This record gives sequence, C-alpha cells and structure tokens, in this order.
Amino acid sequence: MSSDPDAALMLAFQGGDESAFRALFEKYGRAMVTFCHHFVRDPARAEELAQDVFLKLHRAAPRYVPTSRFKTYLYRIASNHCLNELRRGGPSLARGSAGDAEPLDPDTLEAGGATPEAVALGAALARDVQALLARLPEKQRAAFVLARLEGLPYEEIADVLETTVPAVKSLVHRATVAAADALAPYLVTRREVG
Amino acid sequence: MMQHPTLELTALLDGSLPEGERAELEAHLAACGGCRAERDRLAATLALLGALPPAPAPSPTFEARFHARLAAERAAPSGSGRVLARLRAGFGWRTLAPGLAGVAAAAGVSLYVGHRHRADEAFLAEHLELFENFEAVSNVATVETPEDLQVVAHLDELQEGQP
Repeated sequence: MSSDPDAALMLAFQGGDESAFRALFEKYGRAMVTFCHHFVRDPARAEELAQDVFLKLHRAAPRYVPTSRFKTYLYRIASNHCLNELRRGGPSLARGSAGDAEPLDPDTLEAGGATPEAVALGAALARDVQALLARLPEKQRAAFVLARLEGLPYEEIADVLETTVPAVKSLVHRATVAAADALAPYLVTRREVG
Repeated sequence: MMQHPTLELTALLDGSLPEGERAELEAHLAACGGCRAERDRLAATLALLGALPPAPAPSPTFEARFHARLAAERAAPSGSGRVLARLRAGFGWRTLAPGLAGVAAAAGVSLYVGHRHRADEAFLAEHLELFENFEAVSNVATVETPEDLQVVAHLDELQEGQP
C-alpha cells in the first residue's frame, strides 16, 4: 500500500507526525459526517459519531498496518461504529413510507434548482430513502449506503464489510430492488409526467 | 437461453459485470421484455437516488470540538482509569467478560495464522472498542477502590469467558 498517500499519512502519524493526522481529518472529516448521517439522520449525532471514528483512528495508530487502502480501513471502522450505534438503540432512522407526502413535479429534481418544489421533493425523497434504510437488514443497509450513497466499487465494499464480491453483488441488488419498490410512487409519477 | 438473470441487472447498471457476462446478459435483454422492464425500473431508481439532496455540511465548530475531545482524552487518566470508571458505574464487567475473553483469544490466535497482518487489521477495525478496553484492563496501574480490586481478581474469569 506504499502508493496510497493516505496510508503514508497514517504511517507518518504513527511515527509521531501529528500534522499527518490533522491532514487525514481535514480530508475525510466531512465525508465521515455525511456517512454517519446516512445511518442516524441527526446532524449533531452524525458529527459526534464521525468524531468517535477519528478518536478510534487516533487510538489505533500504534497498531496500524497498511494492508488495504486507508479509505477502506476508515470506512470499515465507521461502518462498524454506526452499526453498533444502531444496535445500541441510539437515535435512529426516521420511520415512514414512500408516498406519505404528495410527490411534486419530478422534473424539478433534474433541473437541480432550489425552487420550493425541488426542496420539498428532495426532502420527501430523503425521508423515504431513510425509511427504506431503516427497514433493510444491517448488511444490506451498509452495502446500500456504501454503493449508492458513497459510490464505492463492489471490491472496496467487500473489503469494508469483510465479505466477498459476489456477496456484495447480491446485497446491493436486493437493496436496490427494495429501493425500487419503496420509491415506486416517484417512478410512476415520472412516467406519467414523461 | 439463460434463465432470467435478475441478480445481474444491478451489477450491469453499476458497470461491475465482467465483459463476457455483460455480453451474455445484453443478448438476453434483447430478447426478454420482462428483464428489460426490470432493468429500466432499476435504472430509473438509480437516477432518482442520484437526485437526493446532499447531506448537511458539518457545523462550523465540528473540527474544533473534535480537537477539544481529543485534548480532553489525552488529559484524562489512562485508559485503565476510564474502563474501571465504566465498570464501577455499572456498565458491567460481567457483560464485557465474554467479549473481552473472545478478543483475547482471537488476538492470540491471530498471531499464528497465515495472512497475519490482514487478519489483524480486519479484526482491529471490527473490535476496536473491545480491544481498547482489554488493553486498559490489562494495564491495572489504576486500582483505587475495592471494586477495582474485585475486577482485577476476576481477570482470570474474563480470560476464560466466564460470565
């Protein structure tokens, strides 16, 4: 992993270079807040969880051995921490069902504008996706977040979740089918409009 | 003709199918309206997910609060003090015992199995919290109360996995 600059930073920190740790925090801090937010949907709690992840990373430095990409290692810590948090019954995902809110004009999503309709539709969609996540089994939820919301390739997800690529393919597919079912009202509206 | 390859449709959309499988699946799609409809439904779902609003940005004090937590942790008593405080507070070393014993056993085993570094890293990431507690309890420099002594006295049970 010598070609991984983040692993090099972690090793530098292991050797006593505090600025290397700060560089990692600056690079991944915001991404970790976003990642944790997918699990808890509470901005303050997401920040606290992200800080927990970096505290764990800080404590783990003496034992760090770069056998995979640093990013994979970091996401593995974060995934385990968020799933543990959900098992402990911390502030969890909002419950609800797709279509609770009246779907608005879906074209406003593609326009990307910040019209009131687009904002309302984005909020409704986000809420329905979170309701979906709350219903998914743990591994599917983690695979869905990593693939769909974080954009990690299957190979990296397999590393993060410590499973095989075929297993990830199955997890991501089942979660995506569940998403298609849960978000069907939006898709119907899109077809009708189109 | 291949069976309806529904499991492969998502991987196809994600660009994660090997070339041979992709060609075979596309040949199937050309002849199967049901699979095409399912592919289109999944593709529309992915497009919809792409329109999700971004997560809120961290608050302006996020980084400062992290460094404050880090500084507080460094200034606090050693890890053993923290763990013993949690044990005293009723977190329950009895609850922790099987996990710690498992950590100790697995850590020992991991020294001898092949692919040692990889196993260590995966294990560390998954059990970081328990590992920290184990290290802290193992370092019993902080023994301040009779309850602490009781914990230390029962460390053999922790390692044996007794409740």
